[in-house]
Amino acid sequence: MGLWELYVVLLESTATSFGGLASLPLLHDALVTNAHVLSDQQLNEAIVINRSTPGPVGFYVVSIGYFVAGLPGALVGWLAIVTPALAIIPAAHFAGRWIDHPRVKSTLQAVVIASAGLLAATSIPLGRSALTDAVAIVIAVVALAVLLFTRVGSLWIIAAAAVASTAASAAGLISVI
Amino acid sequence: MAKVFVRHGSFTFGGGAVIMLALHREALERRGWIDEDDFGLCFALARLTPGTTVLAFCAGIGLRMRGLSGAMVALLASSLPCAVMVIAATALFAFWQDNHWVQAAIHGAIAAAVALTVWGVWSIASPYLKGPTLYRALLIAATAFLLFQVVGLSPIQVILTAAVGGALFPPKATPTADGVA
Repeated sequence: MGLWELYVVLLESTATSFGGLASLPLLHDALVTNAHVLSDQQLNEAIVINRSTPGPVGFYVVSIGYFVAGLPGALVGWLAIVTPALAIIPAAHFAGRWIDHPRVKSTLQAVVIASAGLLAATSIPLGRSALTDAVAIVIAVVALAVLLFTRVGSLWIIAAAAVASTAASAAGLISVI
Repeated sequence: MAKVFVRHGSFTFGGGAVIMLALHREALERRGWIDEDDFGLCFALARLTPGTTVLAFCAGIGLRMRGLSGAMVALLASSLPCAVMVIAATALFAFWQDNHWVQAAIHGAIAAAVALTVWGVWSIASPYLKGPTLYRALLIAATAFLLFQVVGLSPIQVILTAAVGGALFPPKATPTADGVA
């Protein structure tokens, strides 16, 4: 996959999502399902890296660029994140006129909610790739409960998960190759 | 100005809302660079702008302060350092991958990543899953899920369908919050 092609794919996903992991379904579809240049495992790793470093959530796209095409790919990923943000420049000029229009609000709302539905569907293959034994399933369930019911930062959750599975491996409960 | 955006845009853990709150404190309360109206406008517009909300927000604040060049400085300052950190972390990740203990740690970490993804679904949808928008939101989310999973539309087709549907069928006007525009 050429760099330009990669940029178009990444931009398509960032420019049609409204923050967070909403860009993930498109990326999964294009790079894992269709182009086969990325694995479910790598996509999960990109999310881990994103949440273990400071900064906004969308930056896992940079890791994906790196996995697909090395350093140039990572730069392409960065460009794909930055490009849609420029849309605020023209938007600021027209602000006020349509920002409260019910149809504009309704359109955006529908897109945001639809992206949640898509993300739910995408978590199925990601889960299938990552949750390969009982220890991983327990970790994921506990992590989800902690995320839903406490305000513990995701960095600590990832760190605790890593420690837990290392301990489980040392105890011979799981075997990772 | 670049310093503030580097520090708060790139070195704050916890995602968008936390970063914008940090910038509110720094740029508005402490330094008085922008006023409450600028902040509110950028906050609203950034969420309408596709892509990462925080970056659009930073670009918007930069724009209100110093025009186009301000927007560029803010955008670069808030995105380059964390991109570099992500690249470094990814390279380390790829490098250490064959180590047995690292493998074991990654195994657990990506299980947590699945939890983060599922939680992402919840954090996107939960603001709409209450009050008058509840059934509408459930309908849209379920339709999107089925169009993708069962019908086999591509994600972009699902997003476009949702956009068209949202534009054609705005919710019944609710006599709350917005009031008279």
